[in-house]
Amino acid sequence: MRIVCPFCGERELGEFTYLGDAKPVRPAASASEDEVFDYVYLRDNVAGQMSEYWYHGGGCRAWLKVTRNTLTHEISAVEPAAGVGARKVGA
Amino acid sequence: MAEFSWVSRSPLEQGLVTGVHGARGIKAGVLLTEIRNFDLIQVMARRGKGVQMASAAEARFGVAAPDVPKAIQTADASLIWSGPDQYFVLSKGSKHTMDTLTRALSQSASLSDQSHARALIGVSGTKARAMLAKLSSIDLHPQALPIGTAAATSIDHTSVNLWRGNDRPDGQAVFNLLVFATFAESLWHTMLDAAAEYGVDIRHSEEFA
Ligand SMILES: [Zn+2]
Repeated sequence: MRIVCPFCGERELGEFTYLGDAKPVRPAASASEDEVFDYVYLRDNVAGQMSEYWYHGGGCRAWLKVTRNTLTHEISAVEPAAGVGARKVGA
Repeated sequence: MAEFSWVSRSPLEQGLVTGVHGARGIKAGVLLTEIRNFDLIQVMARRGKGVQMASAAEARFGVAAPDVPKAIQTADASLIWSGPDQYFVLSKGSKHTMDTLTRALSQSASLSDQSHARALIGVSGTKARAMLAKLSSIDLHPQALPIGTAAATSIDHTSVNLWRGNDRPDGQAVFNLLVFATFAESLWHTMLDAAAEYGVDIRHSEEFA
């Protein structure tokens, strides 16, 4: 498997580290225990297209958001994660 | 208070043995040169200050700092891309040190002195590309990696900053590698093993290739 880093270009899988699902959003400080439990522990076991965080630690050290099909490993999109670099404030 | 006398030593002081190694009876196909005593400053734009950093860098160096994987030569420094909104300033003779660069760039960027934290290795010779191709997964073909191209990549599971310098007078390509000091000896031995079949000429120098 190869990932096309938006900064470095196409690189082998060994340069990247997988974090996991990019969908969960940290709940507000006032959120219920159930909501926090869901955010921390509960994950969907997606069969198909999934949005994931990958880290290009063996390259430019940027966090990336990768859209990957878990059935075929086909990658349809790679974009910088929010806050990568200094120009994209929270983008 | 105790007086300290810091003596800077190359991380390759033990591993590097000058001379020709590996295959005998042929002209060495790989030239490995460690470059010692350089000034290396990592510059990273602060959050939201990428545009300001770019203009401050241009004012300081007279050219735009790289915002894509390239190494740019100024009159007295190399600016080497290392990631989004970050680059290295590589120079010699205290022309660009923490002291002078902090004054020029610290409004918009964070700086970190890496002068003694990395080893700098130049790889050249007729078999340089063949040797590196055993270890690197990036495309080293001259069309894919023309002069001035930089890459943040991994060689033998070790992070390196690689860039192609100007060709030597004999036309041979020069690949420069910056590697963390503590990984330098490991990478050095890996490259020696990969280069042995071609014959390898080992040197160290105070001058950039
Ligand atoms: Zn990258």
